[in-house]
Amino acid sequence: MQHKPSLFPDLIVSVGAVLRKDALSELRSKYAFSTLIVFALTCLSAISMSIAGGELTPHVQSVFLWVVLFFSAMAGLGRAFVQEQDAGTLLTLKVYTPPQAVYFGKIIFNVLLLVSLSVLVLFLFIVFFDISVSDWVALIGALWLGSIGLSIVATMTAAMAAQAQGRSSLFTILTFPIILPEFLNAIETTRTVLAGEAVDWTQFVFLGGYALVALIAGSVLFDYLWVE
Amino acid sequence: MSGILSKRDKLFGIVIGVWLLGTAAAVFALPPLEWFGYKGRILFFHIPMAWIAVLTFLMGAWWSFAYLRSKRLEQFHLSSLSNKVGLVFSLLATGSGAIYAKLTWGAFWNWDVRQTTIFILLLIYTAYIVLGYSIEDEEKRGLISSVYSLFAFVTVPFLIFIIPRIPSLKSTLHPQRFSMDAKMGLVLTAALLGITAFYIWILRYGAARQRVKTAEQAQLIQKDIESIGLGAEGLESAGLDAEANQNGEETV
Repeated sequence: MQHKPSLFPDLIVSVGAVLRKDALSELRSKYAFSTLIVFALTCLSAISMSIAGGELTPHVQSVFLWVVLFFSAMAGLGRAFVQEQDAGTLLTLKVYTPPQAVYFGKIIFNVLLLVSLSVLVLFLFIVFFDISVSDWVALIGALWLGSIGLSIVATMTAAMAAQAQGRSSLFTILTFPIILPEFLNAIETTRTVLAGEAVDWTQFVFLGGYALVALIAGSVLFDYLWVE
Repeated sequence: MSGILSKRDKLFGIVIGVWLLGTAAAVFALPPLEWFGYKGRILFFHIPMAWIAVLTFLMGAWWSFAYLRSKRLEQFHLSSLSNKVGLVFSLLATGSGAIYAKLTWGAFWNWDVRQTTIFILLLIYTAYIVLGYSIEDEEKRGLISSVYSLFAFVTVPFLIFIIPRIPSLKSTLHPQRFSMDAKMGLVLTAALLGITAFYIWILRYGAARQRVKTAEQAQLIQKDIESIGLGAEGLESAGLDAEANQNGEETV
């Protein structure tokens, strides 16, 4: 196949193509993002209404924030590969796209979805639970690093769950134990910020480090998943 | 299942059984441990269980890795068996630990560091087993299960760094060190050796059973092929050995 010489290496071009394809089909169907938003709203209102103005400690607030984010991610991100199967495009994608391009393309797409969702959820949390934030950088840092880690792991487990029966419940079962280190750490960091305590910066190193290790391990293992 | 094991493996099994019974008897012959008291006897069960859980999961991950490299199904069978055995031993370690915790500190569960870690291991390996059940094709199951267990194997050690940073999970009730006299050390070593030999025996038994199963399947396939009147060579050369069974059924 001949194509124009490009400024970027082939892999980056392919990653961009996968990302563009996913973004376009998402813009048309609006399925994933609307599911994410409505699911997050449902979780949030379930918590917020049942508490209705009661006082929550920063610890509980942080736990709720991350539980809402985790389950929204489980509701919305699992479709990354299932959608290809349902549309019948999986084989074409396998034939024409290098596995690493699919891997990074899907991950970037999921990261974008979850990071934008996390901003929305945080905004609603601040409104509903009357949270006053002193250190915005640390809060956004914890939120985004945690969301990035979650999206990376969820992309890998979605690729595995897509090949099995009972995908959606299996997806949650597979993701939870793997994401736990990041999940616990993100909750703890968020708690520290919400409590107005000084944040230990090494927390962020671990949040980012976990995401990086998951990204590399996933990249190595994805080839085996993709090319059967 | 008497025909599965070779004479040597049967003998090996009997020796291990006697050895483990002897060790159990020795545990009860020991005087109570220094500050653990009589209930300290549970340690001679708990420590070997915890050790074998670690060993089985390490070996399971190793065979998963080997399977991804070689795609030889018997390596996946070994890793799968090893992980399942590991799950059983982890449950025993968790259970015995919880009983000891109840007797000593008054609660079965208190999110001690090691309780947290083993809890996560239990979650991972139950997810691993559920994943295996949900995929029918054996090669696909091997592939995806192996990828999952290796992915977990790489990311989960982060817990070692994360847990001490979380105040509600920080404390450990596990004794960091305790003194044992020579006799106790001997019994504990005997228990560890016995349980490790038992694990090896389980692996040998599992491998032998798998061989019988594979042979039976091959026979069935052969029968199918014969019944539809095709030579085995023709099918094999067409690379249809795996699908031959299904195709045969459809045609018949």
